[in-house]
Amino acid sequence: MGHHPNSKITRRQFIKGAAAAVTLPTLFSNGPFFYGSLAHAAGEADLVIANKGTPSQLLQAAIAPLGGMGRFVKTGQRVVIKANIAWARTPEQACTNNPELFSALIKMCYEAGAKRVAIWDHTCDNYQFTFSRSGLKEAAQKAGADIFSGHGRNVYKQVEVPKGKKLKTAEVLRDVLEADVFINFPIPKHHFATELTLGLKNLIGIVWDMELLHKIDLHQCIADINTVRKPDLVVVDAIRILTTNGPKGPGKTEDIGEVITSTDIVAADAYAATFFKHPKTGKPFKPEEIKFVKNAYELGLGEINLSKVRVKKVSAT
Amino acid sequence: MKRALPYLRRSIQVLSFLFLLYLILETTFPLELKVPVDLYLRLDPFIGIVTILTKKGVILRMLPAFGVLLLVMIFGNFFCGWFCPMGTTIDFFDRILFREKKRTKGFDDQPLRRLRYGVFFFSITAGLMAWQLLYLFDPISLITRTLVISFYPPVIFIFNHLLPQIQGFLPHNPFIVSATPLPLFKVNLFIFVIFVIILALGVIRKRFWCRYLCPLGTLFSIFSRLRILRRSVTDDCTHCQKCVKECPVGAIPEELPLQYRQQDCISCFKCLECPPRAVSFNFVSPIWKAADGVNLSRRYVLGSLAFGFVSALVIKTNPLQTESGLRNNRLIRPPGALPEEKFVSVCSGCGECLKVCPNNALQSALLEAGLAGLYTPRLVPRIGYCEEFCNFCGRVCSTEAIIPLSIEEKRLIQMGVAHIDKTRCIAWDTEKICLVCNEQCSYQAIVGDEKKRPVVKEEKCTGCGICENKCPVDGEAAIIVYASSVQKKLKPEPNSSPNSKG
Repeated sequence: MGHHPNSKITRRQFIKGAAAAVTLPTLFSNGPFFYGSLAHAAGEADLVIANKGTPSQLLQAAIAPLGGMGRFVKTGQRVVIKANIAWARTPEQACTNNPELFSALIKMCYEAGAKRVAIWDHTCDNYQFTFSRSGLKEAAQKAGADIFSGHGRNVYKQVEVPKGKKLKTAEVLRDVLEADVFINFPIPKHHFATELTLGLKNLIGIVWDMELLHKIDLHQCIADINTVRKPDLVVVDAIRILTTNGPKGPGKTEDIGEVITSTDIVAADAYAATFFKHPKTGKPFKPEEIKFVKNAYELGLGEINLSKVRVKKVSAT
Repeated sequence: MKRALPYLRRSIQVLSFLFLLYLILETTFPLELKVPVDLYLRLDPFIGIVTILTKKGVILRMLPAFGVLLLVMIFGNFFCGWFCPMGTTIDFFDRILFREKKRTKGFDDQPLRRLRYGVFFFSITAGLMAWQLLYLFDPISLITRTLVISFYPPVIFIFNHLLPQIQGFLPHNPFIVSATPLPLFKVNLFIFVIFVIILALGVIRKRFWCRYLCPLGTLFSIFSRLRILRRSVTDDCTHCQKCVKECPVGAIPEELPLQYRQQDCISCFKCLECPPRAVSFNFVSPIWKAADGVNLSRRYVLGSLAFGFVSALVIKTNPLQTESGLRNNRLIRPPGALPEEKFVSVCSGCGECLKVCPNNALQSALLEAGLAGLYTPRLVPRIGYCEEFCNFCGRVCSTEAIIPLSIEEKRLIQMGVAHIDKTRCIAWDTEKICLVCNEQCSYQAIVGDEKKRPVVKEEKCTGCGICENKCPVDGEAAIIVYASSVQKKLKPEPNSSPNSKG
């Protein structure tokens, strides 16, 4: 097992190279200075709350301060949106995304130069019924996007979850992993088991064995699965939210009329949690009271304290 | 023209079979076809007559079947030879695989030819006693069931395996589509074997099933005695025996080619290929009398009637069929199904509801519902659950064994009630948070208590089985749906308005 006579790399060179390979990208992309300046260079805020307007106006208003859609979607890129189409409910019942906002988001991606936009969800009810009753299939097709359901195991890919505390491996939608741009598009809802379902929880719908996560530890698994692929953009659909009987409803709804966009999923969830009242205290939820948000923060997925985030409120009209 | 007839018939046979295939493939979401997908079953007068007997009432959907019977009285038994998809299948396999054995001696089929009359009388009396034999002998039900249960799943299996290759050819779609969920039916092998046996009988005689067993054919035979379109042979006949050999159902006696048994004739017009052109078909006034009819002795007829009567009684007194404690409480019937006893006696076991069920929830029963309940549909929640906004099974049931309901009516039908096994439930047995059942429940029939443990509200539970289906416990679920003895109608929600603000 001797050295190959023509081997050109000595051990020293190799170590040098390896050290460089490890440190240089860290310096240039993850270093505290660069990270901050690069991220902030594109936008004037990290979390934008838009209110007063039609769904598409709200979206326009909410994306602009982040640096516009062009910051996220470049020409020729493939975009995957994880929407919430889990239930066979009508749009008014606020258990699935708002179709108008949904098509506005797709159109905006195309305007920014996206080559193709795909919508994915691993639906809970039968996908044919959820797609048609939610009106989202029609909306997607009109906007020119492909809408897919993850009901077949062939569209998943087994991945390791190295940063996961409890979830070590999971089968995740292959398209989410391979997409150039990944947008998380949740609708905040009441949820009996986890108090609320927000952006972090929305990502359960990219997993094949969703029910299995309950057996491990649901809150931790939600945080863990979010380490697999961080969304490039989070768009929270808070035009109308479901406040009781979640997540499937039908229950009481509340018209908030806001669209929240962010690059930080924990911050977005921390803000969206305040729409709901704690069943015991009757006061709005604090972000730390939602266990999966707290777990995600502890995993370093984002900032839970909104005072540390540059929040901007805009009016769409 | 005469030469073209056999080709025409063959083409129509093939088209008819393909049309059935098309209808079966269209028996799926969103079910918006203008033609009823169970068309062939609705045109089957044997089902029509037997279900009238067993249900003691007329089924509106089955009325077109009697139109077919009327046509048979004009044109003779055209259905078997031209349209029957089972006949087409048998013809095809008789030709390519199960060829009739060559014989030196003639084949005396008198005793066999009586057999199908025996089967027919048996079915009728059994039907009067509310035991229907459709699921065993009706050819349309049989071919539909076989295609749905035995052949549809392999097709999906192959499709899913070819999917990656097929997608490679689609240039502009970089995304992978989900494989179609594979339909699973426990009885598929059983049904396949029966189907192959029926086809293999062709070795003994061409169209063995049609000639000696099929009760639908028998019914058509009886009515086609009165046919107006009849064969006649002129004196030019040279006794060349060509028509005798060509006749696929042996309706022309060897000794007397001038005559024919009009009740056996399937109007295929093969005998028109007559070298001296002596054969023709003309409209004449009907005569009941037939040449060389079946030798049905009084003893034989009464015997088969009595046999049907007694068998039906034996089946009816089987403990699984009666109101005994042996009733299977896991036997959940589809929403809108008739009460158990009536359901079993009306369902023809065609498998249409199994095909249309979007979640593969409906399964064919083998012996779970007793002998008379063979092939009847049952909801198996662990395989699939009853979709909330779906009423397809009732819409495709040709015999209305599953009553067609509106979505709103269907959502209030209680097929069963879920029960929690607290020793196995994750939330009750451990400290973990689960509540998948609560999250999935469409009817808010499962609530969580203060410790986030599920509790079933019986008055709201429809028994749809989504909780049992999605329960993350391994193997048998920790929440199980038990059938209601009679399907109940639940009270609608007082404030079911979806937009109530709060």
